[in-house]
Amino acid sequence: MTAATATRTFAVTLAIPDNEAFTALETLSRLGIGVARVVRADIWQLEVDGAADDLAKTVASIEAIHNPNKHRLAERPSDRPASGEVWIAPRDEAPATAVAGRTIPGVRAIRRRTAWRLLDDDGRDVAPTELDRAIETFLCNPAFQVAITT
Amino acid sequence: MRGVSVAVVVFPGTNSEDETLRALLAVGLDGELVHWSQPERLARFDAFVLPGGFAYEDRIRAGAVAAHDAVMDPVIEAAQAGKFVLGICNGAQMLAEAGLVPGTGPVRRPTAAFAPNASGRFQSVHVHVKLAVAPERVPVLAGIEPNAVIPAWASHGDGRLAAPPDELARIERDGHRAFVYCDRDGNEVDAPNGSALNAAGLVNREGNVLAIMPHPERDAWTYQHLDASRDAARGDARAALAPSGGIRFFEHFARAVRREVPA
Repeated sequence: MTAATATRTFAVTLAIPDNEAFTALETLSRLGIGVARVVRADIWQLEVDGAADDLAKTVASIEAIHNPNKHRLAERPSDRPASGEVWIAPRDEAPATAVAGRTIPGVRAIRRRTAWRLLDDDGRDVAPTELDRAIETFLCNPAFQVAITT
Repeated sequence: MRGVSVAVVVFPGTNSEDETLRALLAVGLDGELVHWSQPERLARFDAFVLPGGFAYEDRIRAGAVAAHDAVMDPVIEAAQAGKFVLGICNGAQMLAEAGLVPGTGPVRRPTAAFAPNASGRFQSVHVHVKLAVAPERVPVLAGIEPNAVIPAWASHGDGRLAAPPDELARIERDGHRAFVYCDRDGNEVDAPNGSALNAAGLVNREGNVLAIMPHPERDAWTYQHLDASRDAARGDARAALAPSGGIRFFEHFARAVRREVPA
Protein backbone atom coordinates (compact mmCIF):
# COMPACT_ATOMS: atom_id res chain seq x y z
CA MET A 1 0.00 0.00 0.00
CA THR A 2 1.36 3.42 -0.95
CA ALA A 3 1.00 6.57 1.07
CA ALA A 4 -1.62 9.07 -0.03
CA THR A 5 -0.42 11.73 -2.44
CA ALA A 6 -1.23 15.36 -1.84
CA THR A 7 -0.38 18.67 -3.42
CA ARG A 8 1.02 21.40 -1.21
CA THR A 9 1.09 24.90 -2.65
CA PHE A 10 3.45 27.67 -1.61
CA ALA A 11 3.47 31.28 -2.75
CA VAL A 12 6.64 33.33 -2.73
CA THR A 13 6.39 37.09 -3.03
CA LEU A 14 9.02 39.76 -2.93
CA ALA A 15 9.28 41.85 0.22
CA ILE A 16 11.29 44.37 -1.78
CA PRO A 17 9.89 46.28 -4.77
CA ASP A 18 8.95 43.86 -7.53
CA ASN A 19 10.47 45.22 -10.73
CA GLU A 20 8.86 42.52 -12.85
CA ALA A 21 5.42 43.40 -11.55
CA PHE A 22 6.13 47.06 -12.19
CA THR A 23 7.21 46.30 -15.76
CA ALA A 24 4.01 44.30 -16.25
CA LEU A 25 2.02 47.26 -14.93
CA GLU A 26 3.73 49.60 -17.39
CA THR A 27 3.07 47.32 -20.35
CA LEU A 28 -0.53 46.58 -19.37
CA SER A 29 -1.19 50.30 -18.98
CA ARG A 30 0.27 50.89 -22.44
CA LEU A 31 -2.14 48.25 -23.74
CA GLY A 32 -5.03 50.23 -22.30
CA ILE A 33 -5.87 47.87 -19.50
CA GLY A 34 -7.19 49.68 -16.47
CA VAL A 35 -4.93 48.52 -13.69
CA ALA A 36 -3.31 50.50 -10.89
CA ARG A 37 -1.20 47.81 -9.27
CA VAL A 38 0.14 44.41 -10.23
CA VAL A 39 0.94 41.73 -7.67
CA ARG A 40 3.09 38.79 -8.72
CA ALA A 41 3.98 35.59 -6.90
CA ASP A 42 5.97 32.49 -7.67
CA ILE A 43 3.80 29.47 -7.03
CA TRP A 44 5.50 26.22 -6.09
CA GLN A 45 3.33 23.14 -6.13
CA LEU A 46 4.84 20.10 -4.51
CA GLU A 47 3.35 16.66 -4.90
CA VAL A 48 4.10 14.84 -1.69
CA ASP A 49 3.71 11.40 -0.26
CA GLY A 50 1.99 11.39 3.08
CA ALA A 51 1.87 14.28 5.48
CA ALA A 52 5.42 15.64 4.96
CA ASP A 53 5.15 17.51 8.23
CA ASP A 54 8.38 19.44 7.92
CA LEU A 55 7.76 20.47 4.33
CA ALA A 56 7.08 24.14 4.98
CA LYS A 57 10.24 24.40 7.04
CA THR A 58 12.23 22.60 4.37
CA VAL A 59 10.86 24.80 1.59
CA ALA A 60 11.68 27.90 3.60
CA SER A 61 15.27 26.72 3.86
CA ILE A 62 15.82 26.33 0.09
CA GLU A 63 17.24 29.60 -1.06
CA ALA A 64 16.40 28.94 -4.71
CA ILE A 65 12.75 29.15 -3.61
CA HIS A 66 12.83 31.47 -0.65
CA ASN A 67 15.49 33.94 0.40
CA PRO A 68 14.34 35.34 3.74
CA ASN A 69 16.22 38.56 3.09
CA LYS A 70 13.89 39.48 0.25
CA HIS A 71 11.01 37.01 0.06
CA ARG A 72 7.86 36.19 1.94
CA LEU A 73 6.71 32.58 1.91
CA ALA A 74 3.16 31.47 2.59
CA GLU A 75 1.44 28.16 2.17
CA ARG A 76 -1.81 28.41 0.25
CA PRO A 77 -4.90 26.55 1.45
CA SER A 78 -5.87 25.59 -2.11
CA ASP A 79 -4.05 24.17 -5.10
CA ARG A 80 -6.04 26.45 -7.38
CA PRO A 81 -5.70 30.21 -8.02
CA ALA A 82 -7.47 32.56 -5.66
CA SER A 83 -10.39 34.59 -6.92
CA GLY A 84 -9.16 37.37 -9.20
CA GLU A 85 -5.83 35.65 -9.77
CA VAL A 86 -4.38 33.92 -12.82
CA TRP A 87 -1.58 31.39 -12.85
CA ILE A 88 0.58 31.08 -15.95
CA ALA A 89 2.08 27.63 -16.46
CA PRO A 90 3.99 25.87 -19.24
CA ARG A 91 1.65 24.06 -21.62
CA ASP A 92 3.72 20.88 -21.89
CA GLU A 93 5.06 20.69 -18.42
CA ALA A 94 7.40 17.99 -17.23
CA PRO A 95 7.38 18.23 -13.44
CA ALA A 96 10.78 18.60 -11.86
CA THR A 97 12.02 16.39 -9.07
CA ALA A 98 14.58 18.79 -7.66
CA VAL A 99 15.14 22.50 -7.13
CA ALA A 100 18.61 23.78 -8.02
CA GLY A 101 19.81 20.20 -7.90
CA ARG A 102 18.35 19.58 -4.45
CA THR A 103 15.67 16.97 -3.93
CA ILE A 104 13.12 17.49 -1.18
CA PRO A 105 12.37 14.51 1.07
CA GLY A 106 8.91 13.13 0.40
CA VAL A 107 8.38 15.27 -2.72
CA ARG A 108 7.86 13.36 -5.94
CA ALA A 109 7.05 16.23 -8.34
CA ILE A 110 7.57 19.98 -8.39
CA ARG A 111 5.63 22.42 -10.56
CA ARG A 112 6.19 26.14 -10.81
CA ARG A 113 3.71 28.78 -11.92
CA THR A 114 3.62 32.55 -11.95
CA ALA A 115 0.61 34.12 -10.26
CA TRP A 116 -0.66 37.53 -11.35
CA ARG A 117 -3.24 39.68 -9.66
CA LEU A 118 -4.37 42.99 -11.11
CA LEU A 119 -5.79 45.63 -8.78
CA ASP A 120 -7.64 48.85 -9.47
CA ASP A 121 -7.24 52.26 -7.82
CA ASP A 122 -9.23 51.09 -4.83
CA GLY A 123 -7.12 47.98 -4.32
CA ARG A 124 -9.85 45.69 -5.61
CA ASP A 125 -9.44 43.05 -8.28
CA VAL A 126 -10.05 44.41 -11.75
CA ALA A 127 -13.10 43.17 -13.58
CA PRO A 128 -12.78 39.63 -14.97
CA THR A 129 -13.01 41.02 -18.50
CA GLU A 130 -9.96 43.19 -17.85
CA LEU A 131 -8.05 40.24 -16.42
CA ASP A 132 -9.00 38.21 -19.49
CA ARG A 133 -7.74 40.99 -21.75
CA ALA A 134 -4.47 41.12 -19.83
CA ILE A 135 -4.06 37.37 -20.22
CA GLU A 136 -4.85 37.39 -23.93
CA THR A 137 -2.74 40.38 -24.86
CA PHE A 138 0.28 39.99 -22.65
CA LEU A 139 0.47 37.73 -19.63
CA CYS A 140 0.16 34.42 -21.47
CA ASN A 141 1.66 33.26 -24.75
CA PRO A 142 -0.73 30.48 -25.71
CA ALA A 143 1.84 28.98 -28.02
CA PHE A 144 3.52 27.40 -25.02
CA GLN A 145 1.68 28.55 -21.91
CA VAL A 146 -1.71 28.07 -20.31
CA ALA A 147 -3.61 30.46 -18.09
CA ILE A 148 -5.28 28.90 -15.05
CA THR A 149 -8.05 30.81 -13.35
CA THR A 150 -10.58 29.87 -10.72
CA MET B 1 22.70 60.77 -51.69
CA ARG B 2 22.98 58.74 -48.55
CA GLY B 3 23.38 54.99 -48.60
CA VAL B 4 20.80 52.60 -47.31
CA SER B 5 20.75 52.66 -43.56
CA VAL B 6 19.88 50.10 -40.95
CA ALA B 7 18.67 50.81 -37.43
CA VAL B 8 19.96 48.50 -34.72
CA VAL B 9 17.34 48.88 -32.03
CA VAL B 10 18.67 48.86 -28.49
CA PHE B 11 16.48 48.00 -25.51
CA PRO B 12 17.42 48.12 -21.85
CA GLY B 13 19.23 44.82 -21.49
CA THR B 14 20.39 44.44 -25.10
CA ASN B 15 24.00 43.29 -25.17
CA SER B 16 24.88 42.46 -28.80
CA GLU B 17 24.32 45.79 -30.48
CA ASP B 18 27.97 46.67 -31.06
CA GLU B 19 29.01 43.45 -32.77
CA THR B 20 25.80 43.47 -34.80
CA LEU B 21 26.44 47.02 -35.98
CA ARG B 22 30.05 46.12 -36.72
CA ALA B 23 28.94 43.26 -38.96
CA LEU B 24 26.49 45.52 -40.80
CA LEU B 25 29.15 48.17 -41.37
CA ALA B 26 31.60 45.52 -42.53
CA VAL B 27 29.29 44.53 -45.38
CA GLY B 28 28.94 48.10 -46.51
CA LEU B 29 25.71 49.19 -44.91
CA ASP B 30 25.22 52.38 -43.02
CA GLY B 31 23.86 51.75 -39.57
CA GLU B 32 23.12 53.38 -36.28
CA LEU B 33 22.12 52.35 -32.82
CA VAL B 34 18.66 53.63 -31.92
CA HIS B 35 17.54 53.41 -28.33
CA TRP B 36 14.10 52.33 -27.23
CA SER B 37 13.30 55.84 -26.07
CA GLN B 38 13.75 57.22 -29.60
CA PRO B 39 10.97 55.66 -31.71
CA GLU B 40 10.58 58.88 -33.65
CA ARG B 41 14.04 58.33 -35.15
CA LEU B 42 13.11 55.08 -36.84
CA ALA B 43 11.07 56.44 -39.75
CA ARG B 44 14.09 57.29 -41.88
CA PHE B 45 15.70 53.84 -41.83
CA ASP B 46 15.50 51.32 -44.65
CA ALA B 47 15.79 48.20 -42.50
CA PHE B 48 15.89 47.15 -38.89
CA VAL B 49 17.83 44.71 -36.77
CA LEU B 50 16.75 43.65 -33.31
CA PRO B 51 19.93 42.36 -31.68
CA GLY B 52 20.53 39.86 -28.93
CA GLY B 53 20.58 40.30 -25.19
CA PHE B 54 18.06 40.32 -22.40
CA ALA B 55 15.69 43.17 -23.10
CA TYR B 56 13.90 44.21 -19.94
CA GLU B 57 15.74 41.40 -18.16
CA ASP B 58 13.49 38.87 -19.91
CA ARG B 59 10.78 39.87 -17.45
CA ILE B 60 7.42 38.13 -17.92
CA ARG B 61 8.76 36.21 -20.98
CA ALA B 62 11.81 36.63 -23.17
CA GLY B 63 10.99 39.32 -25.72
CA ALA B 64 7.46 39.92 -24.49
CA VAL B 65 7.90 43.35 -22.94
CA ALA B 66 10.01 44.62 -25.83
CA ALA B 67 7.44 43.36 -28.33
CA HIS B 68 4.92 45.71 -26.75
CA ASP B 69 7.32 48.64 -26.42
CA ALA B 70 6.44 51.83 -28.28
CA VAL B 71 9.66 51.56 -30.26
CA MET B 72 8.29 48.40 -31.86
CA ASP B 73 5.33 50.26 -33.37
CA PRO B 74 7.37 51.73 -36.25
CA VAL B 75 9.26 48.46 -36.66
CA ILE B 76 5.99 46.56 -37.05
CA GLU B 77 4.66 49.17 -39.47
CA ALA B 78 7.84 48.95 -41.50
CA ALA B 79 7.65 45.17 -41.59
CA GLN B 80 4.07 45.32 -42.79
CA ALA B 81 5.15 47.82 -45.47
CA GLY B 82 7.71 45.33 -46.76
CA LYS B 83 10.90 46.68 -45.22
CA PHE B 84 13.42 44.12 -44.05
CA VAL B 85 13.55 43.22 -40.38
CA LEU B 86 16.03 40.85 -38.82
CA GLY B 87 15.88 39.58 -35.25
CA ILE B 88 18.78 37.74 -33.69
CA CYS B 89 18.39 35.73 -30.48
CA ASN B 90 16.52 38.08 -28.13
CA GLY B 91 15.45 39.95 -31.26
CA ALA B 92 14.06 36.69 -32.63
CA GLN B 93 12.12 36.20 -29.41
CA MET B 94 10.70 39.72 -29.81
CA LEU B 95 9.60 39.01 -33.38
CA ALA B 96 7.79 35.87 -32.24
CA GLU B 97 6.13 37.69 -29.35
CA ALA B 98 5.16 40.49 -31.75
CA GLY B 99 3.53 37.92 -34.01
CA LEU B 100 5.71 38.96 -36.97
CA VAL B 101 7.07 35.43 -37.25
CA PRO B 102 5.75 33.08 -38.34
CA GLY B 103 3.22 35.80 -38.94
CA THR B 104 0.25 33.50 -39.20
CA GLY B 105 -1.90 35.44 -36.73
CA PRO B 106 -2.67 39.02 -35.79
CA VAL B 107 0.12 41.35 -34.77
CA ARG B 108 1.11 41.00 -31.12
CA ARG B 109 -0.91 37.80 -30.77
CA PRO B 110 1.86 35.21 -30.92
CA THR B 111 1.20 31.83 -32.48
CA ALA B 112 4.67 30.49 -31.69
CA ALA B 113 7.43 31.21 -29.22
CA PHE B 114 11.07 30.68 -28.53
CA ALA B 115 10.42 29.05 -25.19
CA PRO B 116 12.78 27.90 -22.42
CA ASN B 117 15.31 25.34 -23.58
CA ALA B 118 14.40 21.71 -23.00
CA SER B 119 17.40 21.47 -20.68
CA GLY B 120 15.98 24.20 -18.47
CA ARG B 121 19.36 25.89 -18.66
CA PHE B 122 21.09 28.69 -20.50
CA GLN B 123 23.28 27.13 -23.20
CA SER B 124 26.18 28.60 -25.14
CA VAL B 125 27.43 26.33 -27.91
CA HIS B 126 28.92 26.77 -31.35
CA VAL B 127 26.51 25.57 -34.02
CA HIS B 128 25.88 25.57 -37.74
CA VAL B 129 22.52 26.35 -39.26
CA LYS B 130 21.29 25.46 -42.73
CA LEU B 131 18.83 27.24 -44.94
CA ALA B 132 15.78 24.98 -44.84
CA VAL B 133 13.67 26.71 -47.48
CA ALA B 134 14.18 27.70 -51.09
CA PRO B 135 16.23 30.90 -51.42
CA GLU B 136 13.21 32.57 -53.03
CA ARG B 137 11.44 32.17 -49.72
CA VAL B 138 13.88 34.50 -47.93
CA PRO B 139 14.28 37.72 -49.90
CA VAL B 140 15.62 39.16 -46.63
CA LEU B 141 18.78 37.18 -47.45
CA ALA B 142 19.05 38.06 -51.14
CA GLY B 143 21.21 35.74 -53.19
CA ILE B 144 21.73 33.14 -50.50
CA GLU B 145 22.49 29.77 -52.03
CA PRO B 146 20.29 26.71 -51.51
CA ASN B 147 21.13 24.77 -48.34
CA ALA B 148 23.60 27.47 -47.28
CA VAL B 149 25.37 26.59 -44.03
CA ILE B 150 26.15 29.42 -41.64
CA PRO B 151 28.28 29.09 -38.49
CA ALA B 152 27.04 30.85 -35.39
CA TRP B 153 26.97 30.75 -31.63
CA ALA B 154 23.78 29.60 -29.95
CA SER B 155 23.71 31.44 -26.66
CA HIS B 156 20.32 31.48 -25.03
CA GLY B 157 18.09 30.10 -22.34
CA ASP B 158 14.92 30.42 -24.40
CA GLY B 159 15.52 29.18 -27.93
CA ARG B 160 13.22 26.21 -28.26
CA LEU B 161 10.58 26.73 -30.90
CA ALA B 162 7.24 25.87 -29.34
CA ALA B 163 3.77 26.01 -30.81
CA PRO B 164 0.62 23.91 -30.87
CA PRO B 165 0.82 20.90 -33.21
CA ASP B 166 -1.36 22.44 -35.92
CA GLU B 167 0.76 25.58 -35.94
CA LEU B 168 3.97 23.57 -36.14
CA ALA B 169 2.51 21.71 -39.10
CA ARG B 170 1.68 25.01 -40.75
CA ILE B 171 5.16 26.38 -40.05
CA GLU B 172 6.69 23.39 -41.79
CA ARG B 173 4.17 23.12 -44.61
CA ASP B 174 4.19 26.80 -45.54
CA GLY B 175 7.92 27.29 -45.39
CA HIS B 176 8.23 29.38 -42.26
CA ARG B 177 11.09 27.25 -40.90
CA ALA B 178 13.93 29.21 -42.43
CA PHE B 179 16.90 27.56 -40.73
CA VAL B 180 17.55 24.24 -39.04
CA TYR B 181 20.47 23.11 -36.92
CA CYS B 182 23.08 21.10 -38.79
CA ASP B 183 26.70 20.05 -38.64
CA ARG B 184 29.43 21.84 -40.58
CA ASP B 185 28.72 19.68 -43.60
CA GLY B 186 25.06 20.56 -43.62
CA ASN B 187 23.70 17.35 -42.18
CA GLU B 188 20.71 18.13 -39.98
CA VAL B 189 21.32 17.44 -36.30
CA ASP B 190 19.18 17.62 -33.19
CA ALA B 191 18.72 21.14 -31.92
CA PRO B 192 20.78 21.71 -28.77
CA ASN B 193 17.81 23.41 -27.14
CA GLY B 194 15.14 20.84 -28.05
CA SER B 195 13.59 23.16 -30.63
CA ALA B 196 10.53 21.80 -32.43
CA LEU B 197 11.22 20.95 -36.08
CA ASN B 198 14.92 21.49 -35.25
CA ALA B 199 14.16 25.08 -36.10
CA ALA B 200 16.84 27.69 -35.62
CA GLY B 201 15.00 30.45 -37.45
CA LEU B 202 11.58 31.50 -38.72
CA VAL B 203 10.53 33.67 -41.62
CA ASN B 204 7.22 35.33 -42.29
CA ARG B 205 5.05 34.64 -45.32
CA GLU B 206 6.41 37.56 -47.34
CA GLY B 207 10.01 36.67 -46.51
CA ASN B 208 10.99 40.15 -45.33
CA VAL B 209 11.07 39.35 -41.59
CA LEU B 210 13.55 36.79 -40.33
CA ALA B 211 14.10 35.59 -36.78
CA ILE B 212 17.19 33.54 -36.04
CA MET B 213 18.20 32.29 -32.62
CA PRO B 214 21.96 31.64 -33.01
CA HIS B 215 24.25 34.63 -33.45
CA PRO B 216 25.98 34.87 -36.86
CA GLU B 217 27.53 38.16 -35.78
CA ARG B 218 29.47 36.26 -33.14
CA ASP B 219 31.13 34.16 -35.84
CA ALA B 220 31.79 37.02 -38.22
CA TRP B 221 35.57 37.01 -37.81
CA THR B 222 38.00 34.12 -37.78
CA TYR B 223 39.06 34.68 -34.17
CA GLN B 224 35.45 33.98 -33.16
CA HIS B 225 35.15 30.75 -35.12
CA LEU B 226 35.47 27.38 -33.49
CA ASP B 227 37.69 25.20 -35.63
CA ALA B 228 41.29 24.88 -36.74
CA SER B 229 41.11 28.12 -38.72
CA ARG B 230 40.94 30.06 -35.48
CA ASP B 231 43.90 28.23 -34.01
CA ALA B 232 45.90 28.71 -37.20
CA ALA B 233 45.25 32.44 -37.03
CA ARG B 234 46.69 32.85 -33.55
CA GLY B 235 49.42 35.45 -33.53
CA ASP B 236 48.44 36.75 -36.96
CA ALA B 237 46.15 39.72 -36.53
CA ARG B 238 45.28 39.95 -40.20
CA ALA B 239 44.25 36.31 -40.35
CA ALA B 240 42.41 36.48 -37.04
CA LEU B 241 40.38 39.44 -38.25
CA ALA B 242 39.58 37.90 -41.62
CA PRO B 243 35.85 37.40 -42.23
CA SER B 244 34.41 34.13 -41.00
CA GLY B 245 31.30 32.30 -42.17
CA GLY B 246 28.85 34.40 -40.19
CA ILE B 247 29.66 37.48 -42.22
CA ARG B 248 28.09 35.83 -45.29
CA PHE B 249 24.75 36.02 -43.55
CA PHE B 250 25.11 39.78 -43.32
CA GLU B 251 26.35 40.06 -46.91
CA HIS B 252 23.08 38.53 -48.08
CA PHE B 253 21.11 40.81 -45.76
CA ALA B 254 22.99 43.79 -47.22
CA ARG B 255 22.11 42.73 -50.76
CA ALA B 256 18.48 42.57 -49.69
CA VAL B 257 18.53 45.98 -48.05
CA ARG B 258 20.21 47.47 -51.13
CA ARG B 259 17.49 45.82 -53.20
CA GLU B 260 20.03 44.03 -55.33
CA VAL B 261 18.33 41.43 -57.47
CA PRO B 262 19.93 38.01 -57.00
CA ALA B 263 21.70 36.70 -60.08
